[in-house]
Amino acid sequence: MTASPSIEVDRLTKRYGDFTAVDDVSFEIHPGEIFGFLGPNGAGKSTTIRAILDLIRPTAGACRVLGLDSRTDAVEIHRRTGFLPADLALWPNLTGKQTLQYLANLRGGVDWGFVDELTQRLDADLSKKVGEYSSGNRQKIGIIQAFMHMPEVLILDEPITGLDPLVQLEFHTLLRETAQAGRTVFLSSHTISEVERVADKVAFIRRGHLIAVEQMSDLQDKALRRITLEFAAPVAPEAFRGVEGVHEVSVEGATVTAQYEGSMAPLLSVATRHDVVSVASASVDLDEIFLEFYRDEVAAAGGDPSREPDTSSPVA
Amino acid sequence: MLRSVYLKTVRDRWVGALVGVVALFLVAWMGIAAFAGMGDDATAFIEAMPPAYLSLTGISAEAGVVGMMLGNMFNFMGPFVIAGIGVSMAAAAIAGEEADGTMEILGTMPRSRTRLTVSKVTAAVTVVAASALTASVSYALAAVMSGEDVAGVNLAAATVHLVVVAVFFVAFAVMLGAITGNRGLASGATVGLIVVSFLVSGMAPLVPGWDWLAKWSPWYWLQGPQPMANGIDAGPLAVLLVLAVVMVAVAAWGVNRRDLSAGHGRVSMLDKLRRDPRVGRWVTRIAGSGSTRSVTAKAFSDIRPLILIGGAFVAFQSVVVGVLYNAIGADITGLVDSMPDAILAMVGFADMSTAEGFYFAEVLSIVAPLVVAVVAINAGAALAKEEKRRTVAILATAPVTRTQIAASKATTMVLGSVLVGFLVAAGLALGNAVAGLGMDWVKVAASGLMVAGLGVFIGAVALVIAAATGRSQWAVAGAGGLTALWWGINSFVPVNPDYADWARISPFYYYGHDNPLEVGADWSGLAVLMGAAAVLVACGLAAYRARDLRG
Repeated sequence: MTASPSIEVDRLTKRYGDFTAVDDVSFEIHPGEIFGFLGPNGAGKSTTIRAILDLIRPTAGACRVLGLDSRTDAVEIHRRTGFLPADLALWPNLTGKQTLQYLANLRGGVDWGFVDELTQRLDADLSKKVGEYSSGNRQKIGIIQAFMHMPEVLILDEPITGLDPLVQLEFHTLLRETAQAGRTVFLSSHTISEVERVADKVAFIRRGHLIAVEQMSDLQDKALRRITLEFAAPVAPEAFRGVEGVHEVSVEGATVTAQYEGSMAPLLSVATRHDVVSVASASVDLDEIFLEFYRDEVAAAGGDPSREPDTSSPVA
Repeated sequence: MLRSVYLKTVRDRWVGALVGVVALFLVAWMGIAAFAGMGDDATAFIEAMPPAYLSLTGISAEAGVVGMMLGNMFNFMGPFVIAGIGVSMAAAAIAGEEADGTMEILGTMPRSRTRLTVSKVTAAVTVVAASALTASVSYALAAVMSGEDVAGVNLAAATVHLVVVAVFFVAFAVMLGAITGNRGLASGATVGLIVVSFLVSGMAPLVPGWDWLAKWSPWYWLQGPQPMANGIDAGPLAVLLVLAVVMVAVAAWGVNRRDLSAGHGRVSMLDKLRRDPRVGRWVTRIAGSGSTRSVTAKAFSDIRPLILIGGAFVAFQSVVVGVLYNAIGADITGLVDSMPDAILAMVGFADMSTAEGFYFAEVLSIVAPLVVAVVAINAGAALAKEEKRRTVAILATAPVTRTQIAASKATTMVLGSVLVGFLVAAGLALGNAVAGLGMDWVKVAASGLMVAGLGVFIGAVALVIAAATGRSQWAVAGAGGLTALWWGINSFVPVNPDYADWARISPFYYYGHDNPLEVGADWSGLAVLMGAAAVLVACGLAAYRARDLRG
């Protein structure tokens, strides 16, 4: 990638007292990219975003947007950036239209024709007071205000919260158009399928540590699949260990579940030595891929690499 | 009105400010009309007053009854209302957008934090100045409507003094809100400063040798230089304005050096203090650990800090007043004899030559009702706060009836009022013992009981508004506004014997038309307050059951 990065996070650390929300995180996002930022609740996604936008100040490290320093050039960065915060709050006494007018006035240079187009595409209702909207309708206002000035960089924190599936599709089309126009999208999410669907590059953050940054295409090459085999009688897991491409095997009664990559043939040839009743296969979620391929990094971040429920901490 | 942060802030607040101005106009009109109805008696009364006193209070002899009433509007009610409007805007300037979560959007607009702060401060100053100006014009109108005129009163100078002092408090609140990001702390500490500076400015001159202290109180500069008679005293006003500018600069510095809060999941000042190993144990003991045993216990633990801080303040003042009474001794009789009715009316025509009367004037007429009203209104409005915070969806789907939820809040409100009453009585008792004043202990207890009764009634008003509308701001503003109006009616209308019976529409009449420290508990008055409160709570419960919940 030759173009200079749109967003550069350089050894960012943010501590709240004894709690480290983000620990020595670095990554770059380039123009025209949709960058998926994945992690469970409390992993440090929003903290990273808020530091990029100068809402909070790094304990160490720095962030740059469009080559500008997030601390000293915050106003100029804000002018050229669109932001949708997680858990969006708006002024309940303004209507949707008044909210957009207010924010358009503060930004200047908003083409109202484009606002109308966005409103139509997202099927948003601008007539009611914000306090009376459902969370989905409020989220649409949030999306419109982030896009309406056609910013060079879009930072979206959990954007599809509350949106119905049809609007989600339209929203993802909008993201792709934005990236195709050479603009940059930073998409923070804990919804794997959303990131899989639209992102070019994916970063995985856990307990404040950046585990890995991968091109989506590389990740898909590594795609793991999961197979569930049901036998007539219980089969020892050892039968599948060491088989080419097989990563993890678990046995529950007469059912064997295994993760594998590449061809299914070696696995099937072992399985068919026994009495197979049924076979089911499915792709493995992105986070499981991360957990599988980056076991050591996840363990170093303090997580259990085998399987770990979401943890909640005070800072998301 | 949505073209800028400044205009939107003015747009959001002008209606509230207008309500405050209308309330001031009504009080001024009632007072002037009551005095004017006395005809020649009033004029003769003023002419008989010592010139030294007229000079002290800034009343010119020609200004007559209008001047007396306006002295009260500019030195007492006006500053509280107008500074109060400004302080609520100022405390919310940065910290309010943070608490509401809207700073996430506003803070990422192409506006520097300094510019946001300055826009918000300018809006608060605009609303303060416009409210003060409108109120002053309305006083002149009130005088004309009562067949009087405002000749001899320098309304413009008094307005300028009021605006400058209010701006000083606005800047103080902005500074605290911007540095800490905590709206509650900013407004609470500033209101505390206003009340303390009001008391210092009023009480310090009563103690021989301590009158210099009054000049350190911003409140002193409302009436000290007598702007209504002498015009603008530019020197001290310039000092106050320079201090205000410095505080706004400190605010800009403070907001630029810290993280902005995202609103949700923010750590309250109380929790920060609780976590501090040095003070945590004590803070937890005072504030409670946030009981979750029942709806009532949770509601009570929410208002406990307010009860303890307000109650401790009024109890402390009660002790000081006891000592002060001994210190002033015989001097007070001469001073009180020369006071005009407008001033005496505010303190219930107390006979300040006795300890009981002095206590009534200094504690029971204004400060104790104010504290119990703040506690009770907050406890009553808390019913609607569940809807504002959207916690009602969880609460109301738990296995409790709506009646139980509303009744729990009502119980908390009664408990809070009774506790404040207890703390008032405890403070009076301590002052009585320390200063050896020999007041009747039973009557001291009765005074606490009457304070509690007044609180229960005012809290019931807040509860019924909260229950019927689901809007906590309406409950706070409505009950607060009515309380101020009722206080004004009870204080000023009886000045004219022809209108005296109208005071009966005010709960303050049933609370203290006779000094409980002198006559003991007024059981019939208490019965009226409690009976009316019971009816209001019953209406509130019915309304809360009947309507759709918000959020």
